[in-house]
Amino acid sequence: MIAGLRIAIAGIFIAAGVMKIWDFAHAHSATPDFTIAIQHYELLSPDLAVLLAVYLPWLEVIAAIALFTRRLALGAAAAMLGMSAMFLAAIGSASWRGLNIACGCFGKDEATTDYRMLILRDLALLTAVAVLFLHEWRRVEIERFGDGAIGRLD
Amino acid sequence: MIARTLRQLALVLALALVPALVSGAWQLQWRKQEPLAPGEVRLATARMWGDQVQWVDARSRAKYERTHIPGALLLNEDEWDKLVGPFLDAWDADKTLIVYCDGGSCEASQAVAERIRAELKIGGVYVLKGGWAAWEGK
Repeated sequence: MIAGLRIAIAGIFIAAGVMKIWDFAHAHSATPDFTIAIQHYELLSPDLAVLLAVYLPWLEVIAAIALFTRRLALGAAAAMLGMSAMFLAAIGSASWRGLNIACGCFGKDEATTDYRMLILRDLALLTAVAVLFLHEWRRVEIERFGDGAIGRLD
Repeated sequence: MIARTLRQLALVLALALVPALVSGAWQLQWRKQEPLAPGEVRLATARMWGDQVQWVDARSRAKYERTHIPGALLLNEDEWDKLVGPFLDAWDADKTLIVYCDGGSCEASQAVAERIRAELKIGGVYVLKGGWAAWEGK
């Protein structure tokens, strides 16, 4: 079950990241469109939006790949947990402020945001990532301290 | 465990920084620039947004008719009441507005951008840093 969850989460993050990096439909960089999508949330200055648009997709891709490595899976799950929480907060905030914007979650979105659906989707993603994070936490703990040391902190 | 998690997290964040820096350097060609005022955007960023931008020319009609950024709509303070109707007819809600004036110390673009936000209730309005002079490469 965890293996399936890992593959599903990694697939979602890789798809989301790659589609924000490259616009396959128009064969050019997707960064400008993603920058615009970030700016429509009205949370960051234009320059910060550009920096986030350049960095975030690569973090999604790298974290998804790192999820399959023993030495980095816990850190990757932590990064995904942070990103999922950030996505949920951004969508929630846009919904709260009544912004009529596209999500930008998977690159260029044509449709208007359906906040209820997006919030449910992000909540599901956050829950799935949290389950994986806890699994990785436990796995690393057992590797370090053995079965009897669960719950011990550095 | 917390320290281990943070170490791994830092490594993942750093690994992502490598392709992001390469991609950013390729796309943005960063260089030392003056800081931006709130709501301002640089020409390089605006160019990167490409077709998503709707330019708004806040200069005088005479200057607009002489030359302007391709596709720019004329909307200035002197003729606001006359120009705002045609502007709204041509406005595309999916595009980001960037207002420009002559450049240097001109304030018309800030004033027009502020009126668009306040009176027309349109969000996502920016002012081009350096104005027309920046576009002309001066």
